[in-house]
Amino acid sequence: MLFSSIPFLYYFLPIVLIAYSITPRVLKNTVLLLASLVFYAWGEPKYVFLMIATVTLGYIFGLLIDKFRGKALAKVFLFLSALSSLAALGYFKYADFFIENFNRVTGLSIPLLRLALPIGISFYTFQILSYTVDVYRGTVGVQKNPINLATYVALFPQLIAGPIVRYSDIEVQLTKRTHSFEKTADGIRRFIFGLSKKIILANSLGELCDAFHQSADKSVAFFWLFAFCYMLQVYFDFSGYSDMAIGLGKLFGFKFMENFNYPFISASITEFWRRWHISLGSWFRDYVYIPLGGNRVKRPRLLFNIFVVWFLTGFWHGAEWNFIIWGLYFGILLTIEKFFLLDGLKKHKIIGHIYVIFFTAISFVIFSADSLTNALVYAGGMIGLGGIPLVSGEWIYYLRSYGIILAVGIIAATPLVKNTINRLKENDAFEKAINVLELPVLIVLVVLCTAYLADGSFNPFLYFRF
Amino acid sequence: MKNKLKNIISVILFAFLLFATSIVCIFKPETAFSESERRPLAAKPELSVESIFSGEYMENFEKYTVDQFPLRDKFRTLKALFTTKIFAKMDNNGLFTTDEHISKIEYPQNDEMLKISAEKFSFLYESYLKNTNPNIYLSIVPDKNFYLAKDSGHLAIDYEKFISDFKALVPYMEYIDVTELLTKDDYYRTDSHWKQENIPDIAEHLAEKMNSPFSSEYTKVTVSNDFYGVYAGQSALPTNPDTLNYLTNDIIESCIVTYYDTGLPVVGEMYNIDKANGKDPYEMFLSGTSPLITIENPNSITNKELILFRDSFGSSIAPLLAQGYKKITVVDIRYVQSAFLKNFIDFNGQDVLFLYSTTLLNNSTAFR
Repeated sequence: MLFSSIPFLYYFLPIVLIAYSITPRVLKNTVLLLASLVFYAWGEPKYVFLMIATVTLGYIFGLLIDKFRGKALAKVFLFLSALSSLAALGYFKYADFFIENFNRVTGLSIPLLRLALPIGISFYTFQILSYTVDVYRGTVGVQKNPINLATYVALFPQLIAGPIVRYSDIEVQLTKRTHSFEKTADGIRRFIFGLSKKIILANSLGELCDAFHQSADKSVAFFWLFAFCYMLQVYFDFSGYSDMAIGLGKLFGFKFMENFNYPFISASITEFWRRWHISLGSWFRDYVYIPLGGNRVKRPRLLFNIFVVWFLTGFWHGAEWNFIIWGLYFGILLTIEKFFLLDGLKKHKIIGHIYVIFFTAISFVIFSADSLTNALVYAGGMIGLGGIPLVSGEWIYYLRSYGIILAVGIIAATPLVKNTINRLKENDAFEKAINVLELPVLIVLVVLCTAYLADGSFNPFLYFRF
Repeated sequence: MKNKLKNIISVILFAFLLFATSIVCIFKPETAFSESERRPLAAKPELSVESIFSGEYMENFEKYTVDQFPLRDKFRTLKALFTTKIFAKMDNNGLFTTDEHISKIEYPQNDEMLKISAEKFSFLYESYLKNTNPNIYLSIVPDKNFYLAKDSGHLAIDYEKFISDFKALVPYMEYIDVTELLTKDDYYRTDSHWKQENIPDIAEHLAEKMNSPFSSEYTKVTVSNDFYGVYAGQSALPTNPDTLNYLTNDIIESCIVTYYDTGLPVVGEMYNIDKANGKDPYEMFLSGTSPLITIENPNSITNKELILFRDSFGSSIAPLLAQGYKKITVVDIRYVQSAFLKNFIDFNGQDVLFLYSTTLLNNSTAFR
């Protein structure tokens, strides 16, 4: 089920909110778990059993690791836990990738499995992994209540598109969380802003990207327009989903970690990745990069660590070579920054901003492709390869047609509005005016989002490959 | 307003909005048909184990909730206005307004579809016409964008190329160009079709090229001043209605119009006034979609006959061509198998006119 859909907004959510509100505290997690299973089953009726099985294994291994703490068996169970989680992920997400490449190398024709990818499998696998690793490390206590652990993993606000919530972040909240008007109002605001980012901005920009894919009149300028629009579409879609998740979390008393922090204002790629998909970046840092030795190793090993992390980051996003290339592309940029550029970029912020936008635009063109060949074709198109003209009629049309949306998107991707409001709020009169205006603005946004949904407008789901 | 008060009001207000909308969604009676979009609306799907596990139930439930959403047409209008007026998008769902006309972007040229259309016509030619009907004509009616898109800057096909490409695919047809005789004002502002009262010159031009007599004396009859065409509802934008007129004269009134919708002949009207008040008023011309119609003119001064292969544009021009022919057989191969035509039509030297719009040729999956 998508957050940005009428069944979710006007059927599922009200029912769950009522059920949650009237349920005694001890049963609230059970209500959330049941709601989450319905939410997941709505999109994946068959794979809900896979998720339950994965959670059950995580639960059992957690108990076993705890029971044999300090003994060799704990490590064995941790290994088995990681193996079982990654095996499911590998089978459903990566099997065809490996078969296809094996066939290509050997000339064999082993049939592909052609399995539908269970939605959110990459997210919930990482959550279970982080739980068992943290139990092993002793940084969190083992969860003996299976309902609580399943609620943590399956919690519908963050189930299909993150943020990747760490068990350590909500361990206490699972049993002791508070509800207040302030938290609920915050949650509502956050959810509405996220919904608007997804429906009004991301989907509108997505229409242009879709038109680009179908275009027979591509040009260099159109490739660049697509690159910027796609970059913004993914940002508003993904950060919109994260906002909605964080907002929904607050409605149910949870506080999830932030996942995006205006990444496009970064002056280096290093900064960009501190602001983009923060929960994934920090997951790889804490569970892959640091265990490999992190920074405190010799240069060759450091390079190895960086490239392992960025190979995995790319591969996590999808089982295609273009995602691997995308990850390694960032690995290379980050390495160059680390050893040569970072100091210079800190001194020359404007150059840094241009550099970040330029290289991330190229990265998203690679990301958008459905194969390595197309990624190369798209990247080539940006520099005029393939005999395409500099400009085309379609580019002019779409630039005119989407100019304002693009401009709004660019402004909304910066903290300009937020900072201006915060500055104005320092004055009492402005603060009162902003407080009064906030409600009508939120209502207008909800009505507009509903209008887009009732119209049956373009509403893609970008996370089917995650 | 204090933050605490603001938070309380926010929560109460949005809880009310959410639950009130939800209750209306759940208890609103179903609407079977959308008058504005001219399509049946999705009904609540049947619940079953199979439909749940196949995902069909969820998919259909989503369609149902969108189609049956309360005040849906108002929301569609709001979205269309927001998109085109605030975001200044040049089209909304492929529809745009310019010069008070609503039009639909027909772009790009679909060569595959042109090929399919041409193959279907060639099948008719090879099967029925090649040895018996020497006078075979083609006329392509441009969609409105031919006259609108250039000035408004909207995407449009290269019509010159389109027509030239299609002519090359059907070299056995003699092409009759009507593009120079039309203007944007010859089309309804809210519909895709041309106005019958504006096309006697087109009919005359066609008749002249087919060596058929023609007189342009007609009486114009207004059926409705409140005609909202197909684009009015699809665009969801506020617009003024068109006037729906038809042309008649003694010859047209004396014609015998026979419909073969079920294979059996049923005598009917040239202009079906009941349909003028129906869901698609343009269907008043020759009663809209019909696989096979004959128009017999007892007062014809010639013995010439015409077979008109046509789409909906043909419905309004066929009555005007009737005076020059003893009999016109109007065929719509979207609703009858081309291979079965020999059962209904004796191909024996009639003039043959293929009259099709660019829209249909560019989206020809419906040909049978």
